[in-house]
Amino acid sequence: MLKQVLVYIDEDAVQDSIDLVEAARLMFGDRDLITYALAPAGQYAGAETVFDYIITSEPAPVAHYEAGKIARLIEHLHHQYRFDAILIPSTTFGRIIAPRAAIRLRTGLVADVTEVRTEGDEILLVRPAFSGRLLATVVCRGSGPIMMSVRPRTFVKTGATVKQAKLIFCDTRNLPDSGIRLTGRTERHQEQDIRESEVLVAGGGGAMKDFPLLERLASLLGGKVAASRKAVDHGKASREIQVGQSGKMVGPKVYIALGISGSSQHMAGLKRAKHIISVNIDPHAPICSMSDIVVQGDYKVFAEALIKRIEAQRTQTNGGLSWK
Amino acid sequence: MRILCLVKMVPDVDNLRYDRERNILVRDDASLLINPEDACAVAVALALRQDSPDTEIEVVSMAPRGAIPHLEDLIRRGIGRVTLITDPLFSGSDTWVTSNILARSIQSIPYDLIFTGTNSLDGGTAQVPAQIAELLGIPYLSNVNALKNPAITDRTVMVEVEEEQSVLQFSVYLPAILGFQYTPKRKLPYIRFEELNRDVSSQLSIIGNEVLGFSANEVGLKGSLTQVKRLDTDILYQKQAIRVSVDDQGIETVYQFLKQKGVHPC
Repeated sequence: MLKQVLVYIDEDAVQDSIDLVEAARLMFGDRDLITYALAPAGQYAGAETVFDYIITSEPAPVAHYEAGKIARLIEHLHHQYRFDAILIPSTTFGRIIAPRAAIRLRTGLVADVTEVRTEGDEILLVRPAFSGRLLATVVCRGSGPIMMSVRPRTFVKTGATVKQAKLIFCDTRNLPDSGIRLTGRTERHQEQDIRESEVLVAGGGGAMKDFPLLERLASLLGGKVAASRKAVDHGKASREIQVGQSGKMVGPKVYIALGISGSSQHMAGLKRAKHIISVNIDPHAPICSMSDIVVQGDYKVFAEALIKRIEAQRTQTNGGLSWK
Repeated sequence: MRILCLVKMVPDVDNLRYDRERNILVRDDASLLINPEDACAVAVALALRQDSPDTEIEVVSMAPRGAIPHLEDLIRRGIGRVTLITDPLFSGSDTWVTSNILARSIQSIPYDLIFTGTNSLDGGTAQVPAQIAELLGIPYLSNVNALKNPAITDRTVMVEVEEEQSVLQFSVYLPAILGFQYTPKRKLPYIRFEELNRDVSSQLSIIGNEVLGFSANEVGLKGSLTQVKRLDTDILYQKQAIRVSVDDQGIETVYQFLKQKGVHPC
């Protein structure tokens, strides 16, 4: 039986939104899947070869912050196409659009899904809950479509089938005004994006005494500093570099975790990390079971010693850049 | 100006108890605290009132009766009125049901603005504020980190929103809901000594389903559109770790590991 899936494309995270197609494949398989990309802001570069249809708002584009308007658009489209699932990226505005649309469709919504499974006919959605202490497996009841939000980079598109999307135009000018006007925008400096970094040196609640030390180690290793929620909440680091369910999903080659116990809300952001080195006073901290190397001890002593080791090598090789 | 603050009581996550048969969190006996982002929202409302003293602030909370002492303390911290929505029928409600209950409760209360936190510490779905906004048919913005000064002119509020790549300024028509971000410097005021034991019961109203009039099928687990099937604690595959200490050998192990994985020193 054919399955119809709608994916909302957030104009600030186009590729991440496109990647949600992977979750649709995991639910319904590749064969009988018809995919629709909803790009009301008119930005969908890359989606043309991934989706069967691209729906845009013509002649008046709708920005992601006009969430109320987009929720009504989704409702309207659902009545027309009867989607089996609606997937929305957990971006700042995706997290407003999804609940608003779920109310209009009277359907359950599962937030920040990290895993999709099927058991018989039933589709199981997994998400971290209760500060990440637990993973909840959730099922949607009711007759509406399956609705979920997914954090960027949780799923990465693997399918190679190249499609040629057909465009569908939708006139949204009759939808009620959202009541929200953008009056200014300041871009943040982008060099901070920890998601692109191959090496991350992350500090948590146990590493708050000396955060600048992490910066030194990170720059020696050509990496960036990241932080757990605890460190961010205590004002030691900015929210942009927070890793976890309420922060960013990262996929570095090596993640060096200093003083991070590893609540599952934090570990949810580390699923794609290849190797983890954790430094902890407590050898039984949850993060240890996920680590390649567990260093038991004080993070500060560790970081200073490792910096010294790297610098010693550098002097030895006359300021060169290679390991020995 | 009338500001409604939506406050969630969250269980102290270190002391949780689950009803594994019904797969719900037992909140009745867990020690509770005010969700930190909601506390920030209340602190912003109190700060606004300092600038314009004719501002009225009311807190609305859906919680078990165990929340009463915390809510009374909010009155002692300067909140004029608190409404607690509580009913055993509501236990086990998902975000859909919770939003419906809160939206119906709010409909009988006058307001110009609704303040709340963007995320809650326990569920963390961030759904309820947006769902209430949809049910009330009003704008909602999340991740608000500041109000412009002056914040409110001519039936609009000027806000600053922090998102992944940028800081955005918006003007939003009233009435509206604003979801605040956690900021350590925004704190609830202390309770003054003379307030500590003041009887505040006349400023606290408690309403249940006899007022709201939901049918038993619409609320609690029965009314929920999502259902938790299972809760797991061990979530990720386990690795067999190399275990070392912070000594020369430990540092050398880490150093060689980094080298082997192709991490290049700069």
